[in-house]
Amino acid sequence: MLNERTEPLKDVSDVVISTRIRFARNLQDYEFPCRLSVEKKCRVAATVKAAALGNPEYSSRFRYISMSELTQEEAVSLVERHLVSPEFISDRQGRGLLLMDNESVSIMINEEDHVRIQVIRPDLDLEGAFEIANKFDDMLDEQLGFAFSDRLGYLTQCPTNIGTGMRASLLLHLPALRESGAMGKISASLGKLGFTIRGMYGDSNDPKGAVYQLSNQVTLGISEKEAIDNLRDITMQLVVQERNAREAMSQNITVLDGLYRSFGILRYAKILTNDECWKLLSDLRFGVEIGIFENIDYDTINRLMIEVQPATLMKNIGKKLPALERERIRAELIRTAIARPKVPANRRLE
Amino acid sequence: MLCQSCEKRQATTHIKTIVNGELKEFMLCPECAGKLGYGSFFSSFGPDLDRLYGGFMDSYTPQVTGKRCPFCGSSFEDIANSGRVGCARCYEIFEDELMPSLQRIHGRTTHTGKLAASAGEAVKVQSEIDACRRELENAIKTQEFEKAARLRDKIRELEKKAAEQGEE
Ligand SMILES: [Zn+2]
Ligand SMILES: [Zn+2]
Repeated sequence: MLNERTEPLKDVSDVVISTRIRFARNLQDYEFPCRLSVEKKCRVAATVKAAALGNPEYSSRFRYISMSELTQEEAVSLVERHLVSPEFISDRQGRGLLLMDNESVSIMINEEDHVRIQVIRPDLDLEGAFEIANKFDDMLDEQLGFAFSDRLGYLTQCPTNIGTGMRASLLLHLPALRESGAMGKISASLGKLGFTIRGMYGDSNDPKGAVYQLSNQVTLGISEKEAIDNLRDITMQLVVQERNAREAMSQNITVLDGLYRSFGILRYAKILTNDECWKLLSDLRFGVEIGIFENIDYDTINRLMIEVQPATLMKNIGKKLPALERERIRAELIRTAIARPKVPANRRLE
Repeated sequence: MLCQSCEKRQATTHIKTIVNGELKEFMLCPECAGKLGYGSFFSSFGPDLDRLYGGFMDSYTPQVTGKRCPFCGSSFEDIANSGRVGCARCYEIFEDELMPSLQRIHGRTTHTGKLAASAGEAVKVQSEIDACRRELENAIKTQEFEKAARLRDKIRELEKKAAEQGEE
C-alpha cells in the first residue's frame, strides 16, 4: 500500500471511465475558422476529407458526415456520445465530421481549428489513445502540411492550445470525494498544477452525477509524453483518494441507504427523467464500486449513461418522441439492463 | 451584455452546452465561466480565462501601430478582443504582442513536443539529440552499457550534424 503513489495501479476502472486524446491542427493556406466564410470552410472540409479518405488503409473505415445535413437529434446525440463538442453543432454550416466505423476516432473539421483529431478509449489508456491519434496526425500531416512553427509548435486559433495542440482528458467517477465535499479544494489545487476538472452533467461545480472530466491545460513547453505522464500521475493520486473516501463511506448507513433507495428506483420505476437519471446511475455505479450491487459491470453502466440521454435515445429508437415517452423508454432500458442482480450473501439479511 | 449568471459583470464568454437533449447557449463573464468550470470556447479545451484575457489586456496598448496581418487582415485588437488568432501567419506578425500572453497561459514560450513534417532540419536534429539523451540516461540507469555506448556515438554524430548546419 505504501508505494501506491509511485507504482501505477493496475485496474482503475472503478474510477476511470474513459480516456480521450485530442489534437488541434490547422492548414497553412487558410485563415483559421473564425475568419473563414462558409464557402472557404467547405473547401477546407473537402480538402481534409479527401486527405483522409484518399488513404487506402482507412478509406473504407471512415464515414464522412456533412454536419448541416443532420437532424438536430442526430447532431445532439454526437455530443452526448462525446464524439463532437457542443460548439461544433451550434453552427453546422461548413463543418464536417470524419467518423471511424467503431466511433473510437472522430475528426472534426472547422471546429475552433480546421482539424481536431479525437480518439476515445475505454478505461485508462492514455498511451493507446495517443498512439492512435498520433498515427492519424502523421497521415494527415503528410498530405495537408499542418501549420507549425519551430518555436511555437502547432499553431492554433486559440493561443491556449498552441504548442502540442494536445488535450488529454479522463472521465472520472468520484462519488465519494464529491459526497465528502472535497471537490472544491481538489479542483483548486489541480488548477495550480495545470489541470482542470469539471463536472460533466449539469452545473459543473455541482454536477448531477459524480462524473468529472480531468484535462491537462498547458500545451506549450511540455512534450506530449510529459503531459500524459503528469495526467496519469495526478489521476493515480485521485484514485487513491477516492478509494480511501469510499472505504470510509462504505459502512455509513446513511450513504448505503441512499444507494439502495436509488437502486430501488432504477429497478422498479416506470418513468425516469434525464436529470434524476444522472444521480441514480451515479449511485448505481457507486454501489457497484463498493461491492453492494453485484452482477452489474462497469461497461453496462457506462453504456447506459450514454444511451439514456434524450437525443441518443431518440436516435436509437429512430424517431422524435415526446418527453413522457422518452422517460418511459429510459426507465425500461435501465430496468432491462440491471434486471435481477445478485445481492451478495453477506449483505442479504442486513 | 451582462453575465447571465451573476448579472453584474460584462459577459465576454459564449458558452455552449447540452442540457436535456438540447443545445443551450449562455453568455458569462470570465469569472463566472471559470467558476462554473467552463473554459472559454469549448469546455474541455478550457483555458484559465482570467489568465487568458488578463494576458491580452496587459500586452495590449492601443494606438501603437495600425499593423494588420497581410494574410488574414487581423489587427492585434481583433485578436485581443476575440481571444482568437486569425491565421497561422498572425503568430509571426504579432509575435511580440502575443508572447506575454503565451508566457502567462503556459508558463513557457518554446515548443518541446512533437514536430510536424514541415519543421526545420535544425529542430529535427535537436529533438533527436534530446531523445537519444533521454534514452542514454535510461540505459545508464539500467546498466545497459553497450546500448549506452552506441547512443553516445549517435549523439556525437548528431551534434556534428547540428554544428555543420549551424555553419551553413
Ligand atoms: Zn458573472
Ligand atoms: Zn493572420
